[in-house]
Amino acid sequence: MSHSNSSSTIGRRTAAVVLVLCVLLPLASVRTAQPRFFADDPLALEPESQDASGAQPVDINLAFDLTRAYFVTSRRESTGVRAGNVNTVDEVPDSSWFGNRIGARALSTDDLVTGPNVNPAPDPSTWTILREKSSGAAAGFTARDAGGATWFVSFDAPSNPDGATGAIVVATKLFWALGYNQVENHLSELRRENLRIDPAASVKRPSGRRTPMTDDDVDAVLARAKPGLNGAYRITAGRALPGKILGGFRYEGTRPDDPNDVVDHEHRRELRALRVFGAWTNLTDMKAGNTLDTLETAGGRGRIRHYLQDVGSTFGIGANGPHDWSEGREYVVQAGPALRRLFTLGFALSPWQTAHYESVPAVGPFDGDAFDAQGWRPRAPVLAYTEMRADDGFWAARRVVAFSDESIRTAVSTGRYTDARAASHLAHVLIARRDHIARFYLPAINPVVDVAFEPGGWLVFRNAAVDHAGAFGAAPLHRHVVRLRQRHQRLARTRRDDRRHDAAGGAGRSARCRGRVRAGGPLRRPCRTPGLEPPGRELLPPRGIRVEARRPGATAGQVIAHG
Amino acid sequence: MSMCSTARRAAPVAIAVIVGALSALPGYAQAPADAADTRAATIVAQQTAKATRLAPYEPGAIEALVKEVSEHLTASEVKWHPYYDTAYNGAGFTLGAGYVFHPGDFDTLDMSAAMSFTKSKRAEVEYRLPGILGRRGVLTVLGGWREGLGESFFGIGPATSATGRTAFDFRQSAVSSTIDLRPNRRAVVLMGGVELQHYEQRPVTGSDFEQSYTPETLPGFGATTDYVQVHGTAAIDWRPAEDYARRGGYYGVTARRYDDTSGPFSFRRVDYEVVQHVPVLRDAWVLSLRGRVETTYTSEGDTVPFFILPTLGSGSTLRGFASMRFRDRNSLLLSAEWRVLVNGFVDVALFYDAGKVAERRADLDFKQLNKDYGVGFRVHTFAATPIRVDFARSTEGFQVAFAASAVF
Repeated sequence: MSHSNSSSTIGRRTAAVVLVLCVLLPLASVRTAQPRFFADDPLALEPESQDASGAQPVDINLAFDLTRAYFVTSRRESTGVRAGNVNTVDEVPDSSWFGNRIGARALSTDDLVTGPNVNPAPDPSTWTILREKSSGAAAGFTARDAGGATWFVSFDAPSNPDGATGAIVVATKLFWALGYNQVENHLSELRRENLRIDPAASVKRPSGRRTPMTDDDVDAVLARAKPGLNGAYRITAGRALPGKILGGFRYEGTRPDDPNDVVDHEHRRELRALRVFGAWTNLTDMKAGNTLDTLETAGGRGRIRHYLQDVGSTFGIGANGPHDWSEGREYVVQAGPALRRLFTLGFALSPWQTAHYESVPAVGPFDGDAFDAQGWRPRAPVLAYTEMRADDGFWAARRVVAFSDESIRTAVSTGRYTDARAASHLAHVLIARRDHIARFYLPAINPVVDVAFEPGGWLVFRNAAVDHAGAFGAAPLHRHVVRLRQRHQRLARTRRDDRRHDAAGGAGRSARCRGRVRAGGPLRRPCRTPGLEPPGRELLPPRGIRVEARRPGATAGQVIAHG
Repeated sequence: MSMCSTARRAAPVAIAVIVGALSALPGYAQAPADAADTRAATIVAQQTAKATRLAPYEPGAIEALVKEVSEHLTASEVKWHPYYDTAYNGAGFTLGAGYVFHPGDFDTLDMSAAMSFTKSKRAEVEYRLPGILGRRGVLTVLGGWREGLGESFFGIGPATSATGRTAFDFRQSAVSSTIDLRPNRRAVVLMGGVELQHYEQRPVTGSDFEQSYTPETLPGFGATTDYVQVHGTAAIDWRPAEDYARRGGYYGVTARRYDDTSGPFSFRRVDYEVVQHVPVLRDAWVLSLRGRVETTYTSEGDTVPFFILPTLGSGSTLRGFASMRFRDRNSLLLSAEWRVLVNGFVDVALFYDAGKVAERRADLDFKQLNKDYGVGFRVHTFAATPIRVDFARSTEGFQVAFAASAVF
C-alpha cells in the first residue's frame, strides 16, 4: 500500500516535471527569440540624443563631499553590478566622457607629445592678468597671453622646482592617452616685467569686497613661487575650455539636468577604471572640484562634455608641495589604521612609514618597488572605485600595459625636468608601477582577449597576461577554458591549455594562443567545422554568440565577448 | 487520469517558479516594452525618457546645512564666533562669543566677551590690520577688561604647599598696540609694542588670603598699579604654523619693561623660549621639546608685585599642578611630548613636564624640579589645534586640562 502510494507520488511528480518542461521549452524558445543582440553591436559610440542646453552650473560643496565620502561612501559595499556603459565586447564606447586611444589604436610619439594640445602654446612675451585664482591655496591666476588667448597660470611650490608644473603636463599627457578629456596644458615662462594687470581685474579682499588688483597683489602671488636662475618663473598654462562652465561632476549618480547622462557615474567603466589609472600615477585628489562639465552647443543642441580638469596632484607632488607620506596608502580619514596607531601609540607602523623613497624633489614621494596596486587609496573614498569589478580592473590594466617603456619616457619628457635624474626616476617608477598593475589586475580574471575564429575551425585569442609577460618575471601559468554559447546553449569549448609560457618568449611566441573548437554542449550538437570560414551559419550564427572564459578555481566564467 | 490532473494542478505553479527563475538569469532579461532594433536606439529611449523629467540639481537638507556652515567658517564677512579666553588661567570652564567685521578691505574689528562658571569675566575689542609694510607686518590694537574672581595663590617660592591655597580677586584694564613684523616674509620675527595697564586686586573677603598676608609680607598686596609696558621680541620661527606644527622650531627672546607710574613696582622681565619639533619616521611620531626661562629684574627700591610674577602650573605649563601653583621672580619650564600621528586630524601625545620657580636666577637649575606626566588628545587642522584635552599626574594629584590651542 505504501509502496503503491510512493509510486503514485513519484509518478505524479515526474508527470508534473514532464508537463512543465513541455510547456517551458517552447516558452524558453519564445523568450530567447527576443533580440538580445542588436544590429549595431558592438556599440562604438555612445549616443547623446537629447538637448542638454538647459543644464545649469552646480557648485559642489567640498566639505559636504568629503564628509560624505569619509562617513558614508566608506561604508558602502560593492554591488557587483557590471559596468553600465560597456558594449558587447566588453569595451567602452566613445562618449562625452571618454575616447578610445591607447590600447584601442596605436599612438605615435607625436601623439603622446601633443596630447590634448591641439592649439598653439601661449605667447609669453606679455601676460595680462584677468582674474585672481578662485580656488585652492596654491599660487596662480587667470591671464591673457600676447596672442590674446586666456590661460590658467600655475606655479611650482618654492620647495619643489619643476614639481607641480612637470606633474601637470606629464599627467595630462598620460590621462589624455588613456582616453579622458583633458585641458590643454603647456609649459611656459613668466617674467615679472612682462606682467600687466587688466583694468577690470579685481581681487576679493578679506572683507569680501572686490577691489582693483594692484602690483602689490601680484607680488604677493609671486612671493609664493620661486623664479628660476634666469629670473623667469616656470609655469603651466592651461587653456580656458570652450563652452559654458557647469562645475564639477560627482563619481556617483547622474546629473539631473543632463538628459544624456543615463548611466550612474559609479557604474561608468571609465570612472571605475580611474582606480587603476589613479594607482598607477598616484592621482590622489579626486574631489569634484578637479573635474569639470562644460556645455558645448552645436547645431542648436547643447551637449555636456566631462573633463578630468586637474590631474596635477599626481606622482608625489601637488601644487602646494610634496604629497603627505601617507597619500596613496590611506584615506586621510580611515578608521582601521588610525585606531591601530592610536592603541599602539604609533608602534604599529604603516607601510608608508617604512617604504623607501628616492629623494627627488621634482617628483616627491613616489615609489615603484613598494607600490601596492590593490591597496592604493586616494585621499577620500570614491564610490566608483568601490564599484570597480575585476573586469573593470582588467580593462584598465590593459590600457596601462599598453604604455611601452618608450612611450612612458616620451610622456615624461614633456615635463621638461631641469634635473635629468627627475625624469629618469619618474619614468622608472611609472614603469615599475605599470608592471605591478599588470601582475595584479591581468590575472585577476581569465586574461583571454581578442577572440576570433580562423580558418580550420580554430578559435584564436590572445592572453593579455602573456602579452605582458615581462612584468611577471617568473613564468605565469595560464589555463584557458573558453566556451562558446549561443543563447545559453553551449556550442563548443576549447581544450584546456596548460602550457607554460616563459617570460622571455611569452610576449612573442605565446602572444596568440589558440584552442581547437570541438563539439560540446548539452544538446551535443556536432561541430562540423574543419575548413569553416566563417563557421556555418546554422551552427555558429554571427549573432547571439557568447564567449566565456573561466579562471581556474573560479565558480563561474566571465563573459569576455558576446555579439 | 489521476496523474494528468495532478500535473495540471502543479503545472501553473511550477511554470511560474521556473519562468521567474529564468527571468532572473542574465540572458533572459525581459526586453523592454519599447525595445528598439539597435543598441543605440535603446539608449536613446532612456535619454528621451529622462528628458521629460529634467530638474536642476537641488542639494538635500544636510548638504545645504554643511554648505552654509562651511561657507560661514571660510567666508571673511561679518560673523559671530565662539570665544573661550578666560580671565586668567584656572578660571574654569568659560563660554563666550565674539563678533568680527571688516571696517576696511583688510582690517578686522573683533569684539568678544566671555564669562566662566566662576563668574570671572573678560571682554576685549581688537583691531587688527594685516599687510602693512609691504605685507610684512601686522598691526594690532587691543583694548580689554577682565575681572578674575578667586585666582589661586599658594604663596611665593618653590617650597609652597598645595594645601596652602588662598585666593584673591583682581581687575585689569589695558590698551595695547603691537606690530608683528616678518622682515623677509619668512622665519625672522620682530615684534614690538606698548601697553597701558591698570591693575586692581583685592583679597576675597573673609578668605585666608586676607588673614595670611599683609602688604609687608606680600609685595603688591592690596595695591593698585598703573603700568606703561614696552616690549619687544626677536625670534626665528620656522614652524609651518604657530598653533600646530610637526616640524620646525621657534627660538625667541622677549624683553618687557614695566614702568609703574605711581608706585614702587617697576621692573623688567626677559623671557627666553626654545621650541623644537622633530619628526620621527615620516611623522609617525613627533618629538616636541620646549624650554622656557622667565626672568625679572628690578632696580633698587622696586619690587615685582605678586600678581604679575612668573608662574608655573596650568594646562600649558606644569600640567599636573593646579593653575598658578608656583610663583616667584624667575621660572624654568621644560616640556617634552612624544606625539603620535593617528591621522591627519588627530594626535595623541605622551608628555612630561618639569619646572621650578626661584627667587634668584642662579637657582634656575635642574635640581628639585616639579615634575608631571600624562597623555593628551588633540584634534587639529593643518595650522590650528581647536581641541586639546590633557590628562596629567604629579605628586600633587591628577589634573585635566581643556584648551583650544596647542600647548607649544
